[in-house]
Amino acid sequence: MEHFSQRAFLLCLLAALLAVPAGTALWSRKDTAAYYENRSLTEFPSLTAESLWSGTLGGDLESWYSDHVPGRTTLLKADTAVQLHLLRRPAVNEVVSAGDVLLPLLPYEERRAEEYPALAKAAAEPFARLSAYIQSYGGVFCYAGFPEQRVYFRDKYPDYLSRHETEASAGDGAYARAMAEAGVDFLDMAAVYDAQGHPREYYSAVDHHYHYYGAYAAYRAVLEHLAEKGWDLPVLTEEDLDFRELPNPYIATRNRKLYNLWPNEERAVIGVQRTPVPFTRYDNGQPSDKPLFVLPAADYLPTTYNLYMGGDFAETVLETGRAELPNALIFGDSFTNALETLLYASFNETRVLDLRQYDEMSLRDYIGQYRPDVVLCIQNDTFYYLGGGNNDVWEEP
Amino acid sequence: MAFSSMAFLFGFLPTAVLCYFLIPARWRAGRSGALLLFSLLFYAWGGLRLLPALLWSCLVTWAGGLLLTVGRRRRRAVFRAAAALNLLPLVCFKYTAFLLENLNALGLELAVPELLLPAGISFFTFQALSYLADVYWGTIPPEGNFPRLALYMAFFPQLLQGPIVRYGDFGPLLADRRESVPEISAGAVRFCFGLAKKVLLADALGNAANAAFSAGDRLTVGLAWLGSIAYTLQLYFDFSGYTDMALGLGGVFGLPLPENFDYPYIARSATEFWRRWHITLSRWFRDYVYIPLGGNRCSRGRHLLNLLAVWLLTGLWHGAAWTFAAWGLYYAALLIGEKYLWGGALERLPAPLRHAYALVLINFGWVLFRAGSLGQAGEMIAAMLGAAPGGGWSGEAAYYLRQYAWEWAVALPAALPVKVWLSRLLEARREEGGRGAAAVLAFGPKLLALVLLGLSAVRLLSSTFRSFLYFQF
Repeated sequence: MEHFSQRAFLLCLLAALLAVPAGTALWSRKDTAAYYENRSLTEFPSLTAESLWSGTLGGDLESWYSDHVPGRTTLLKADTAVQLHLLRRPAVNEVVSAGDVLLPLLPYEERRAEEYPALAKAAAEPFARLSAYIQSYGGVFCYAGFPEQRVYFRDKYPDYLSRHETEASAGDGAYARAMAEAGVDFLDMAAVYDAQGHPREYYSAVDHHYHYYGAYAAYRAVLEHLAEKGWDLPVLTEEDLDFRELPNPYIATRNRKLYNLWPNEERAVIGVQRTPVPFTRYDNGQPSDKPLFVLPAADYLPTTYNLYMGGDFAETVLETGRAELPNALIFGDSFTNALETLLYASFNETRVLDLRQYDEMSLRDYIGQYRPDVVLCIQNDTFYYLGGGNNDVWEEP
Repeated sequence: MAFSSMAFLFGFLPTAVLCYFLIPARWRAGRSGALLLFSLLFYAWGGLRLLPALLWSCLVTWAGGLLLTVGRRRRRAVFRAAAALNLLPLVCFKYTAFLLENLNALGLELAVPELLLPAGISFFTFQALSYLADVYWGTIPPEGNFPRLALYMAFFPQLLQGPIVRYGDFGPLLADRRESVPEISAGAVRFCFGLAKKVLLADALGNAANAAFSAGDRLTVGLAWLGSIAYTLQLYFDFSGYTDMALGLGGVFGLPLPENFDYPYIARSATEFWRRWHITLSRWFRDYVYIPLGGNRCSRGRHLLNLLAVWLLTGLWHGAAWTFAAWGLYYAALLIGEKYLWGGALERLPAPLRHAYALVLINFGWVLFRAGSLGQAGEMIAAMLGAAPGGGWSGEAAYYLRQYAWEWAVALPAALPVKVWLSRLLEARREEGGRGAAAVLAFGPKLLALVLLGLSAVRLLSSTFRSFLYFQF
């Protein structure tokens, strides 16, 4: 028996050790991206004298090999299933299953509360200058700040996990105060949502964005805010919209990290206008036939937040050809996407910029060129103190 | 190249094994030559820049060994010169920056070069020194065949992290060894278990240790203890895992390597701990430093001095930093204390108390070993003793307990000789005619080894590559 077991074991082991390189050589070269990890796979490294001498070639080959092992996604999915359902770890792939929502695992290190006021003051300054500039030609600037999903649902974190309470309370509070003190019209959507009873359905259980219902509530709040400032804009009321729940599984960002293994019934919602406002769309300067909601080809295919406007673009322009209405510029992060599907209907021309990607001219020059009547900044609170991107709003002429 | 990498497991290893066994067994030199070539490739995987230091050491050791037999008059000078030439790269790469930084601390303004330490230099240098000393003392004859000596120096299973081998044990096997299926099978099983120790246990527990040692103001009493225990376990599973892999590979190629660990955490004193931890290093220092200095066959004062010197060198061998020096001297103090002060009283204590005594002291020792500075070590130890800036307990400590609950649950018994107890039990039943026990003994470890290999490979796919802790020494 011992004799047989030794030979059988060695055969199995050798087969396993040889199967992996053989499989990699035969099948795996065509893969270029890891969908669930949301990243590109490592390309085969090039051999150079420098990489041989320094040893970086070995490291690069290791990365390439790990990325191109046949069945990699299946193996990682199985591993995630074991971690999630069998071992029941508090965090799997840096995602926390907190009751009925998925939240990110946050580091325990956090800024101290007393650090925020000075940082917020510095962050508000360029927005104040931008606001003054827009007002100088008769326009209006409004900044709508959103809590990210992890902040909105922070009470759902288990007690022993970090929820970045200081950042969510002291950080966000200091930011709103600093904006107000600097004269920036700041609409704190966390306060708006709280005033409406902090509805659970406003935010996604499996995505870091809000749910479409939260986007719609934000849309109404922004228009009410503009109405208070004298802008009488057409509004898409609930009667004007048909809120449709899509049949596709909503994988979103957090469940995507878990290989869509976290059981949930959440579905993406779209607000289809009963009487659509027609528009002409341009993405990055080119005519685009993308609709407001980019739906998967079949019902069984998973969908993500990218269904709203087809994801992030450096520049999108939506023209409705209603000259009697004002023009708008919206800049900000992906929280704009769901809002755009609603806001464009209230304006003649809506320009949308994501300054994380747009680099053709500065925001100041862009505004100087198009002179939009209404400028909206839409940003979630994870970006408040980061600088750059959509905070890069003012460049001295 | 690390054993716990995809390139090694599913590229280098099967290629090396196939090439080795495709060479006819009767052509020993051919098989040894293949091993040498693969060993050099293994080392050069980390960069061709590493090779000169290794080749230099091989050449100096080989030539030194031959010159030691040329004439009796100049033997001492040749030995000292060869030893010095071997130590030169180690001192240059490992201790130059430390020396200059300390001189700068005294007020000098010397430029500190950034030198990349060739992996495993401390290990192969010590093997070279042991060979030279053994030839010098006449314990072994010099090796005239350069490739054989180079293979002794560069044998890839133990090149980077030991165990430290002596030529007297290794050399004869190069000419006369026999690979057998039982040894290859046992070696492969041990390799898989070692891989799992490193990838599944050590790396996971290392996350808890890293969190504690970088907690700063968040450090609590609980987190400090948790982190230090995690590091105690991480280091053991990391290093003994590597050793299991090295010994396993040695078995596959018919070159058995010496044991380096004997369940060190069941020790009942610091003295016993060092008979069980990194055994080949302890023996090296005993045979090539401690005994030549006079050992304990001298006055008490000289004996104390010998112990201090050996342990200071042991500490500094692990790293060029005051934390390592302090760690070495800490063990010198413990061993001296157990020898001359409280050893007798310790012997009279009940075994559980002696275990607890040893474990607590070992744990504090690893804090010195792991800390980035003496200041950090002080903060960590103060926190363990109750003076933690973050208080007694925190959610962070709870998280690392829960997140790695399975690893904690497996690591604690795995650090004990449970495997030995189980094997003895099953063997006794098999002797009594138990067929089930025989089947479990025949198939159990092998099936488990395949499962552990699969789990480790999946973990390697999903995590960033992590090197072995002892690579830095």
